[in-house]
Amino acid sequence: MRPILLSGHERALTQVKYSPDGDIIFSVSKDHVVCAWFSHNGERLGTYHGHQGALWTVDVDPTSTLLATGGADNTMRLWKVETGELLMTWDFPTAVKRVEFSPDGRQLLGVTEKRSGHLGTIVVFDINPDPAAKQSKEHSLRIVCEDSKATVAGFSYLARYIIAGHEDGSVSQFDAKTGELLFNTQAHEEDMQVTDLQWSQDRTYFITASKDKTAKILAADSLEVLKTYTADTPLNSAAITPVKDYVILGGGQAAMDVTTTSARQGKFEARFYHKIFQEEIGRVRGHFGPLNYVAVHPAGTGYCSGGEDGYVRVHHFDKPYFDFMYEVEREYAQAQAQANL
Amino acid sequence: QDLAKKNTANRQVVEARRRLLQEWLAWRESMIQMLKEEGAEIELNNGKVRTDHDGEVEEIE
Repeated sequence: MRPILLSGHERALTQVKYSPDGDIIFSVSKDHVVCAWFSHNGERLGTYHGHQGALWTVDVDPTSTLLATGGADNTMRLWKVETGELLMTWDFPTAVKRVEFSPDGRQLLGVTEKRSGHLGTIVVFDINPDPAAKQSKEHSLRIVCEDSKATVAGFSYLARYIIAGHEDGSVSQFDAKTGELLFNTQAHEEDMQVTDLQWSQDRTYFITASKDKTAKILAADSLEVLKTYTADTPLNSAAITPVKDYVILGGGQAAMDVTTTSARQGKFEARFYHKIFQEEIGRVRGHFGPLNYVAVHPAGTGYCSGGEDGYVRVHHFDKPYFDFMYEVEREYAQAQAQANL
Repeated sequence: QDLAKKNTANRQVVEARRRLLQEWLAWRESMIQMLKEEGAEIELNNGKVRTDHDGEVEEIE
């Protein structure tokens, strides 16, 4: 599994995303620039310029037409993927920490930062998928997080719920139409920030990563914790792999928080766990700093990680990855094959 | 005797995994059923939005 190194960013990566076809990787960094890369060879396809501060977040719509970004310049921006044209800028009183499109791409949410005088919010805008269309200036929904600010959020299946992860380690479920808080659960340890939230492909469940050194899978409708993955370092990101039942976790202690000088202490590895059995099955080294984000190719053929070291590492899975099976999985596969004869 | 103990332990581990796998598959099945009842096309298509070009057959007159 020889990685491709994407070097082009000058500062720490904050988020990386595959296009729905998996052919393009979008990356954002503290260096203010959005980059697009061909995932198969790592060639840089283009850059999107305009943001005036560190970028925290990026997402692409389900047709690979529109790109959304958010950053420390207190704006959320919409771009035309193909040309890099800036289509829309929404201004906020604080930084935008997370953006995400709804499953059909017709809504876009943004998570805004809390700062003196401003509570954290989740804002939703209706999106016209036509890049030539004028976009709405006004939000269609605004959720104010009174208790603990949201750090991450996204839309469930059918955009029925907005699920948010919070600074206090809890996870909330909101009605995505009314913004009403339906349920809040302390999924992670108290005051251990939820750092990432990524969906399964059908958005009936999601994985959260936390500073409490665990990642968890929760059901979108019940918010029941279905699975827990225990690591030995604070986690920044967690992703679910399609095709194989694995999850990939990324994190690591920042250099200034590490008390010893041993390289191992940093634990800058992507960790693979079996999604159903919750057992660690492998690690991939490479980064020289914490992994800030891991993203999986939509077809399950590879993954990429964005690091504090300023690099994106792209991995294409090889045969052993796909061949690996637990005894009981093999039993099940054989039974299925027999049933289909 | 040690070997017997080890085998029992292994059997228990395998049994636990078998149970986890069955539980998971049953839950997944219930979710897929729910999505079908809701007519969740995009979700049942692995999150992919079908575009106008998909499955379109060009007619030649």
